[in-house]
Amino acid sequence: MGLLRKIRATGRVAEPAPPRPEGGVLEKARELGGSAQVRCVDAGSCNGCEIEIAAAFNPLHDAERYGARIVASPRHADVALVTGPVTRNMAEPLRRTVAAMAEPRLVVAVGDCAIDCGEFAGGHGVEGAVADVVPVDLTVPGCPPEPEAIVAALRRVTGR
Amino acid sequence: MSAIPVALATATGLGGAGALAALVVPHRARVPLVGALTAGVGAAGAAVGVTALTGTHWSAEFPNVLPLGGTYLAVDALAGWFMTIAGAVVTAVAVYGVGYAAGRPARRPAPECRAPGPGVPGPGVRGLGSRGAQAVLPLFALSLLLVPVAASVSTFLALWEAMALGSLLLVLADHRERPAVRRAGVWYAVMTHLGLVLLLTGFALFAADAGGETFAALRAGAHTLSPGVRGLVFVLVALAFTSKAGAVPLHTWLPRAYPEAPDPVSALMSATMVNLGVYGLVRTGFDLLGGGTAWWWLGVLALGGLSAVYGVLQAAMASDLKRLVAYSSSENMGLVLIGVGASGLFAAHGDRPQAALALAAALLHVVNHSAFKALLFCAAGSVVRATGLRDLDRLGGLRARMPWTAGLFALGALGAVALPPGNGFVSEWLLLQSLIHGLRVPGVAVAVVLPLSVALVALSAGIAAAAFVKALGVGFFARPRDERAAAAREAPPLMLVGAGLLAVGVVALAVAPGLFADGLGRAVSAATGPTGGGAPRGGGELGVRLADVSARMSPLWVVAALTAATLLAAGLPRLLARRRRRRVHARLWDCGGGAPTPRMAYTATSFAEPLQRVFDDVLAPEQDVDITPVRESAYLVDRVRFQRSVPDRIEHRLYEPVLRGLDRAGRAARRLANGSVHLYLGYGFAGLVVLLLALTTGW
Ligand code: SF4
Repeated sequence: MGLLRKIRATGRVAEPAPPRPEGGVLEKARELGGSAQVRCVDAGSCNGCEIEIAAAFNPLHDAERYGARIVASPRHADVALVTGPVTRNMAEPLRRTVAAMAEPRLVVAVGDCAIDCGEFAGGHGVEGAVADVVPVDLTVPGCPPEPEAIVAALRRVTGR
Repeated sequence: MSAIPVALATATGLGGAGALAALVVPHRARVPLVGALTAGVGAAGAAVGVTALTGTHWSAEFPNVLPLGGTYLAVDALAGWFMTIAGAVVTAVAVYGVGYAAGRPARRPAPECRAPGPGVPGPGVRGLGSRGAQAVLPLFALSLLLVPVAASVSTFLALWEAMALGSLLLVLADHRERPAVRRAGVWYAVMTHLGLVLLLTGFALFAADAGGETFAALRAGAHTLSPGVRGLVFVLVALAFTSKAGAVPLHTWLPRAYPEAPDPVSALMSATMVNLGVYGLVRTGFDLLGGGTAWWWLGVLALGGLSAVYGVLQAAMASDLKRLVAYSSSENMGLVLIGVGASGLFAAHGDRPQAALALAAALLHVVNHSAFKALLFCAAGSVVRATGLRDLDRLGGLRARMPWTAGLFALGALGAVALPPGNGFVSEWLLLQSLIHGLRVPGVAVAVVLPLSVALVALSAGIAAAAFVKALGVGFFARPRDERAAAAREAPPLMLVGAGLLAVGVVALAVAPGLFADGLGRAVSAATGPTGGGAPRGGGELGVRLADVSARMSPLWVVAALTAATLLAAGLPRLLARRRRRRVHARLWDCGGGAPTPRMAYTATSFAEPLQRVFDDVLAPEQDVDITPVRESAYLVDRVRFQRSVPDRIEHRLYEPVLRGLDRAGRAARRLANGSVHLYLGYGFAGLVVLLLALTTGW
């Protein structure tokens, strides 16, 4: 009973939904019908982006209300949320992860590192940006990007 | 003239001919010929059994055949029940055994034995295919069939001992290849003769007081015995018979002898010989002693409950495939003993229909156990023959390499886990029905014991599921963990045919147990007298109907519904998927990190570990971690050795002290025999004087 009472007493903490991001739904994502299962892949990030992704799914930003949901296996996923520059050790696993996802699949590169290697450009263990390894459909710039930006990108996938 | 004596004579003749043929026929033709003759023995025995089950009685006496007592034979429905089982199993296993012993297997049977050099003949000549073992095999099969026919104490004991010796010789067939066989043989010999001594003492007491040693005389004289003597006779005889059935605490020979025996022999012993322990108990307890008091049967029930849970726990812990199957025998015989004990308890309280139901459940479970256990041992034997491995932690991946064997093992395992649609389910359902409805029998002991027994039956069924999921999942699925498992080849056709015959039996028992109901009813009433409508009847649609407690079950429909549901669940998504989109072949998802190696697969030991933790206090596993640091620093680890074993605790606590005591007594007694002839003459003289004194004082 304690939990139910707590739920009632707390009420909604999520921020009111901001207006729909511009650009509309991605063409490729239309088939998903408003529901996107998301698999996160850390290809070599400093973990800053991970913290922001976690924040995007917390009760305040609540990305799930727009139809995006984190899943534990690429076999279940429609969207790969890739962070960080792709290190040499993660290049092949990233390729395999994307290959393991069912069509239609999208890759979202989150953070400056994922877009152009950011801080780590030229590092000896860095293979390249995400786009050098797998085709990227959407990018979220920022170092790290704010949760709002990540939520906005996911809304462009779910269209809600 | 009835068919029984003809069939019995045929079986005996074929058995003798088989033994003779094994001795004179050269190696090449020996195995097939002896196999055919042994199968004939089985078929003739089964014919006797089936005839007896239709209600025909037969008895005969040959006063001059055995010295002293003469030979008395009788066949009734109870004997017929056990003969039918033994005959059917012998026939199937004989066929299997021909494939097993003929020619050279792909691998030597054990990892520790030496490699076959140019001069070393294959096991076609050694082991089970050898002249001696082949000569014993038909005789052992014959003794299995004849033990229920005996109708006097001396005949019974002679046949019983013939069976014990035959099985002992067959267990020892591989003794040249593996030293472990010899140790198992010693254990088995000692235990089985301990049982014989108990039997001898019990029956001698019985016969002396009843005034005759034929079963008819015992039956007639049983009520003249004082209650104390009757109780003593029952305890002695019951201990011997439960030991043969593999129940705790006299079970220790079982997990030793079965794994080390050649596989067809394991199948024969576990599927027919243990049954005869149950036969002996039912014959003496119900028929000869005529029921008895409640505490006898409470003891049997307790022994059964203990065996069921302890056996299945050890099976769940075992990582040796054959040991696992062997311990499961202990479990199933425990369940049978629960049924027998409950039946005796009800009879002692005067509720005949209920007693008949419980005994029927027990006897049906005997058949079911025989069918699936023989099948399991045959399939396990094919695995051992193809890989030379018994260790589940090294097997794996056999489903793809030995699909038929895997299927047969799966069928047997389904029976052993007592879930529908397996055949074990039918008899366990019947057993639970009898226990639950037994609560209407008055008495404090009944009210306390029956719910406990229900719980024990349920617990053992649950753990059995874990044990056989382990055996099947780890042994046959996943990837081979050893190159010998990876190189396994399917068993030769004759072995598959033999096991296939058993599989047919398993399926028949699972789908149409109603077919066996009439014979079962006759066997039960042969043991307990008129049943009063308690025994199960064959229902109209091949089901089982319990007239007395108005419960019914039709396994056929259960099987049909389950099959339909499985097909639907497996087929529907495929159909739908085919309609909508083409299939894509993708790489196995391996977490992106590269293909998993066989070392990453789940092993039998790790599968059993959580269960072992739950039952830590019962199993008392022994664990040993040995860490060696590098020389320079105590903080840097060089090597870690981890060792764990789950010993048989009963053996540990009960047998080792006794053995140590015997050893000490033997050492102490050595001082009495110091080699002096004078002393020995003195012993003889002292003995004579004591004897004469005892005689003159009229003791
Ligand atoms: S973009 Fe910034 S926060 Fe994200 S991984 Fe790169 S350095 Fe870290």
